[in-house]
Amino acid sequence: MALTRLSRRMFLNTTATGAALGFAPRALRAQPATFKLGVIHPVTGPLAEPGQACRLGAQMAADAINAAGGIKSLGGMKLELLLGDTQTKPDLGRLEAERVVNQGARMLMGSFDSGSTAAMVSVAQQKRVPFLVDIAAADPITANVAKAVKDGQQKVQYVYRNFPTGSSFGRLAVRYFNEIFAAARVAPRRVVLMYTNDLFGQNQSKGFIAAHKAASPSWEIVEVIPWSEPPSDLSTEVSRAKAAKPDVIAPITRPASAQLLLPEIRKQRVEVMGIVGPGSPGLYEAGQLAALKDDLEYVMDNVPSWPNFKKARTQAVAEEYRKRSGGKTFDTNSVASYDGMLTIADVLERAGREALADPDGPEAIVEAMKKTNVKDILAVAAGPVVFNEIGDNPNASTAMIQILGQKPVVVWPRDAAVQKFVFPRPKV
Amino acid sequence: MAVGLTLIFGVMRVVNFAHGDMMVWGMYVTFLLASRAGVDPYVAFGAAAAALFVLGLVVQRGLVDRVLDAPHEMQILLMLGVALILENTALLAFGPEPTRARSTLAAATIWLGPVFVDVARLIAFGVALALTAALWLFLFRTELGRLMRATADNTFGALVIGTDVRRVYAVAFGVGAACVGAAGALVAPILPWEPATGLSLSVASFNIVIIGGMGSLLGAFVGGLLVSVAESLGAVFLQPSLKELASFSLLILILLFRPAGLFGNGRDG
Amino acid sequence: MPNGAGSRLVSGHPPIAPASRPALQYLALAAVLVLLALPAVLTSYAVTVFILIFFYAFLGQAWNVVGGYAGQLSMGHAAFVGVGGYTAAMLSSELHLTPWLGMLVGGALAAVLGAVIGYLGFRFGLRGFYFVLLTVAFAEVCRILVSNIDALGGAIGLYITFTGDPRQFQFQDARAYYYVALALMLLATGVVALLERRRFGIYLGAIREDEGACEALGVDTFKYKMLAMIVSSFLTGVGGTFYAFYLFSLQPNSMFGIPLSVEIIIRPIVGGAGTLLGPILGSFILTPLGELSRLSLGHGGYHGLHLVAYGVLLVAVVLFLPQGAYPYLARVLRRRDA
Repeated sequence: MALTRLSRRMFLNTTATGAALGFAPRALRAQPATFKLGVIHPVTGPLAEPGQACRLGAQMAADAINAAGGIKSLGGMKLELLLGDTQTKPDLGRLEAERVVNQGARMLMGSFDSGSTAAMVSVAQQKRVPFLVDIAAADPITANVAKAVKDGQQKVQYVYRNFPTGSSFGRLAVRYFNEIFAAARVAPRRVVLMYTNDLFGQNQSKGFIAAHKAASPSWEIVEVIPWSEPPSDLSTEVSRAKAAKPDVIAPITRPASAQLLLPEIRKQRVEVMGIVGPGSPGLYEAGQLAALKDDLEYVMDNVPSWPNFKKARTQAVAEEYRKRSGGKTFDTNSVASYDGMLTIADVLERAGREALADPDGPEAIVEAMKKTNVKDILAVAAGPVVFNEIGDNPNASTAMIQILGQKPVVVWPRDAAVQKFVFPRPKV
Repeated sequence: MAVGLTLIFGVMRVVNFAHGDMMVWGMYVTFLLASRAGVDPYVAFGAAAAALFVLGLVVQRGLVDRVLDAPHEMQILLMLGVALILENTALLAFGPEPTRARSTLAAATIWLGPVFVDVARLIAFGVALALTAALWLFLFRTELGRLMRATADNTFGALVIGTDVRRVYAVAFGVGAACVGAAGALVAPILPWEPATGLSLSVASFNIVIIGGMGSLLGAFVGGLLVSVAESLGAVFLQPSLKELASFSLLILILLFRPAGLFGNGRDG
Repeated sequence: MPNGAGSRLVSGHPPIAPASRPALQYLALAAVLVLLALPAVLTSYAVTVFILIFFYAFLGQAWNVVGGYAGQLSMGHAAFVGVGGYTAAMLSSELHLTPWLGMLVGGALAAVLGAVIGYLGFRFGLRGFYFVLLTVAFAEVCRILVSNIDALGGAIGLYITFTGDPRQFQFQDARAYYYVALALMLLATGVVALLERRRFGIYLGAIREDEGACEALGVDTFKYKMLAMIVSSFLTGVGGTFYAFYLFSLQPNSMFGIPLSVEIIIRPIVGGAGTLLGPILGSFILTPLGELSRLSLGHGGYHGLHLVAYGVLLVAVVLFLPQGAYPYLARVLRRRDA
């Protein structure tokens, strides 16, 4: 104890150095001018592209909230983001979470890849820091915490997620497939599922296959073809798909593998009614459109939390995003983090002064989190943001988009559709 | 590009973990020329090779040259450092999105009945063949090439007959890097890449070089063919996501039973 | 390696002056006492940095046995982390075996894999770069296999429920992990210190410098290399359990991938491969510097700048400390004494 007191006195005057060295005494947190929250994504390394999109989405949302007067119930307190980078390494996810919490973060948001997110979950639970997962697909991330609370091993669940889980993703994909086929008055029979065998791809394909089995629709999944990421060549995979005589090819790709897959499908002249992704990055981003051009035309994709462009506010944010990102599209990743930040602001408005209380602030935030009911978000959703007993948002939804005239537009569900879909696609 | 690695290793015995990242830079050079100046990737490959030759010289003269006598692990560490620098400079300069160089030629396919041939791959194959032949001529028919082979065989002996070994090393590294640049330009229209692609390219090229044989040009070439055949067979008979298993298993077998590769000479290289 | 090997002989490590031994021991004791007391004054972030320093020093020390002392450069040590971690996690979730025991089982299985790789590599006489590639290939094979085995979670991986129960190798207070990691590091260093002084350690050093001469003198190099590999892979496998139960998820890419293998080897190399304190020193240098460069350069939209700086740092180490940091430090200290 003597040591502790000594160190406090020593470092009180040199907070900046102290923080950098890791000696930030807790006493300094007494009068915060801003509400600090940690925003952690993989902005370098193999997932740098979506990670940077998430970070910018979160920053823009925080800027907008601050410009509109901050958190009013906290006397107009501004949000201050403490940014972190996981490089897609779980140990860095944990380290960055500890760092931002030490620098005063009272909440966490992140972090795209499920491994780093799982590592951050342990920090949230250990240090009682409410954590909103903006993107991470693996089901156990929230379910494991809920289970530990139910079994009495943990007192409070600090982790919530506003992103469709693998299983709900699959259910929606199968439903949209059925609805679109019916609306188009066609009956494709043979679907070939092709997926990248990484965490996301395997998660999505499992959800899709399970949902297909449960729904037993009139179409069959006749062949399942996984490849390991990053692939150097997909010609064998595509010939295998072609041999299965597909009516529809359902790809789950990463951006790089999409750039290999789609030209290969064209080159091998695989005749299909359509290419419809059950949930896949790489089929709609601006960079992908620039690289793939016509190969992407008419491609459909079932995407999570797609911006709802029927809202004027979404259009304005998308325009600002284009400017600040140097020409990129406001899409799945950026809107998920944007909505995550909107949700956090809403939670804080309702928690009010209690959120800053010592030591029960975190629990007050969690209480407000549980009662969340946010309608004013930018993404297409089945309803307002709410959290169920597992901590997931059952209304987190997906939308079927299609590339029409070299632009991704929502074509399903009908009430969010901006344009009518084209299916089957015209023959070349 | 495996040809580049085999040359560097053959002469200098420096393990180059920056190989894939150098190739990624060759791809970006091609991409810049294609997107900014409208130069077709198949024309740009000379420029990519020249740029990488310079990069190779700089890395060799500035860095590798100083650690040739250092322990093995230091050479590996050096190249890991260079790889990290190259990858993240690319990230700073070009951003994280996957990129692809577009070529009108690359989009074409030739159909021979039910079988089709991808023009891009055909060109890449043809140019690789020509490059290998040119390198062979360089190594076996020019004075500098002979000195390089002599240095590879016996550094001490080469020193005795008055060879400027440092110059030979520099040229070998430069030419090796140039091959990598050329290879990068050739596959840029076929293979999409991003700054983080380097690592998997390095591993793939190690495979090819080992399977074909360290220090053997023909081996590197045949190794490349073998790896792709093994992976295709793996994709057909196993599951496509297991196809790399085929090439790694082939690698382990070759390492054990013919460590100098199918075309290498000598047992411990 | 007809000529390359020759130059390696010249570059052997200078022996560490025996005169400084007692002084060094007192210094080490003092350092350990300071480290034991440190969590009382550190923030949890600094504690986390120290945990990673200890953990990677531990893995580095484990690698050091075969990669440093014996000079057999393995770049596939992630495979042992993966085997150890997956074993402990599966035993814990399927058979409810506590990871405290699972960690030993995991270490044992990793040692079996190490023995297989070592047997093949050493029996078939793979040296230098060829051994590097053999180890990389084995780790990649493991990674691809695990990615495709549903029972092991496939590419999605395994997720460990956070309970904070010490019986499950979990702690509500992160400082407990600090002491576990510290203990691991000290344990591995103790093992290496013991081995170093015995005939085993001397033979390993001799194998590293000139294997052919050792064989000519009748040393069973195969046996000693195998032993080194088994000790090394066992310790690394034990580390896998810590990794899994500290980070709460296991994915084939992060646990078997080349990036982890690289993380494992760079610290002992920077510190000085084949020296007792090299891995620890390397970890104390690289981990904080990596953090500092990220803190100072990781913002302002220049994504990747801090990794460029880190790369420059590695290159600088190679250029200016071509034997590693510890041999350099030892030389400076000795000159001071004299």
